[in-house]
Amino acid sequence: MVMNLFNGLVYGSLLIIMSSGLALIYGLRRVVNFAHGALYMLGAYIGYTVALQTGFWAALVVAPLAMALAGVLLDRYGFRLLQDYEPLSVMLVTFGLMLFLEDLVAFIWGKGNYSLFTPSLLNFSVDLFGHSMPAYRIGVIVVGAIVALGLTLWLRHSRIGLFVRAASTDPVTTSMQGVNTDRLSALVVGLGAALAGLAGVVAAPFLSLSPHMGSDVLIDSFVVVVIGGLGSLAGAFAAALLLGMMQAIGAVYLPNVSVLLPFLFMIVVLIWKPTGLAGSRT
Amino acid sequence: MTRSMNLIRSGLFSLVALGAGGVILLLTPSSSLLGIYTHAVIYAIFALGVGILLRQNGLVSFGHALFFGGAGYGMGLILELHWMSAELALLMVLAVIAVVAFLIALIIVRVPGIAFGMLTLAIGQMAYLLVARARGITGGADGMGIPWPSTLFGVAESALLKPATLFMVSWAVLVVVTFIVHQILCTRFGAVTAAIRDNEERARFIGIKTLLPRALIFALSAVVAGVAGLLAALNTGFISPESLHWSVSATTLLMVVVGGFRHLVGPIVGAIAYFLFKDLLGEWATHSMAIFGVALILVIVFSPDGLTGALERLSNRCRRALRGHLDGSR
Repeated sequence: MVMNLFNGLVYGSLLIIMSSGLALIYGLRRVVNFAHGALYMLGAYIGYTVALQTGFWAALVVAPLAMALAGVLLDRYGFRLLQDYEPLSVMLVTFGLMLFLEDLVAFIWGKGNYSLFTPSLLNFSVDLFGHSMPAYRIGVIVVGAIVALGLTLWLRHSRIGLFVRAASTDPVTTSMQGVNTDRLSALVVGLGAALAGLAGVVAAPFLSLSPHMGSDVLIDSFVVVVIGGLGSLAGAFAAALLLGMMQAIGAVYLPNVSVLLPFLFMIVVLIWKPTGLAGSRT
Repeated sequence: MTRSMNLIRSGLFSLVALGAGGVILLLTPSSSLLGIYTHAVIYAIFALGVGILLRQNGLVSFGHALFFGGAGYGMGLILELHWMSAELALLMVLAVIAVVAFLIALIIVRVPGIAFGMLTLAIGQMAYLLVARARGITGGADGMGIPWPSTLFGVAESALLKPATLFMVSWAVLVVVTFIVHQILCTRFGAVTAAIRDNEERARFIGIKTLLPRALIFALSAVVAGVAGLLAALNTGFISPESLHWSVSATTLLMVVVGGFRHLVGPIVGAIAYFLFKDLLGEWATHSMAIFGVALILVIVFSPDGLTGALERLSNRCRRALRGHLDGSR
């Protein structure tokens, strides 16, 4: 049981990293980014290749940076030009991008499954509550916590964070007050994409790499973001942990339907509160 | 245009469309090509269903594979358990889909925008996961064969499963379904749903009850998707959980948007364009999804109302140019 809760926490942390990027992008650009799973997958594959060449820690830096660059380009030459299109159209554009990137990954790395070695620095186990827990997975929880805490502090206490919160509420007024919302969006989408890349590298040593890895995590992240309330970070954090835990506990008590639990939970939440737990937007 | 004139006009149009199917059949020599056409026509019906929801409700579904694949599974289970004759089973499956979709819709159409899409995604994926795990009943991930009887509506199975017959049956179903849907949308009900889509609040202010029409549109779109599912089950004689996966719904949505959802025939054009294009790709077909991804982006960016929208603009421009030319020469 303790082990299951622990694994739930690990997966929840991964979902925090993924869904905070999704929530940030939705908050500023009102885009439901289907390509987010593909960015995660690309991050994992780039991380895999870099890790084989120069080691895991370099990969942990390189892959998110590469995805940040991709995110900035996506915003500059994608979302900014599509601002006046209907949200549905932009969503389908990201869907098209997802199809393209999935095929690109299959083309470059092949369709086989890979798994990345655990970095030797963290390749040991810790005895906690009478169970031996892999240090690497504890590391994943720490990364998730750092991301959640870092984003919260950044948004609450920095000047740019203030701009991001303002632009998420009302981009027109914010730009009238002299904030360059286009540059702000590029920064935020870049950050969101970098977080997807980070999640990919972090997941690589304990989830296997395949051209389909993106869409599984993408759907769980959607569930998290929608349950939490679209665009709400705090809601996404809470929903991510809840979902991770729910799957872990469900796997023990309701093994047959545990995969359905996130969806059931989402349906119940949305019918009860159509804008999500912490959401006020539609 | 009066109602009866409209009926006659679209009836004539349907007859011409039926004849066009016969011409396509005569002009197609290879049965493998005909198989691709049949596939395209079946997906055209499916896309029509998804398109109705988008056109009349303004709602995006990522879960219509539930009704497409569900129809096949429903048929397979009824036939395997010998509950009723195959002819009755076809009607039964569609009736069950209509009721289930209506009940689901009563709950979920209240949820606005993106969240609705995510709800349909969730419901569809739940069905996919359940079916893939229920090995005892559905054969799990391996899928199940559909035990069609030796005769259907008095036609021997061997005659029915000829590529030419399958194509003509699918084509005729497409034409008839399009005709019926068009007639339904020409009534007051169609106008009411369009008003609700454009502005639900305003529609409510002028005294329209909005929930029921929206739920009925959802049910209609589900039934049309179910018809496509039944044809697919007849065509392949086999059903697997893959047909319930959300990517099936999403690919169909891609066809709808590429074809253009503002026109009733847009989704049909999109589906047929999708399969013809895929066939043209030949050896590049392994990268078809990447190519379709790029094509989807290009169509949305350059013609947000899809291929039918682009065709309409083109024909308008030609007409104007022609008229200008005639006026100039006079």
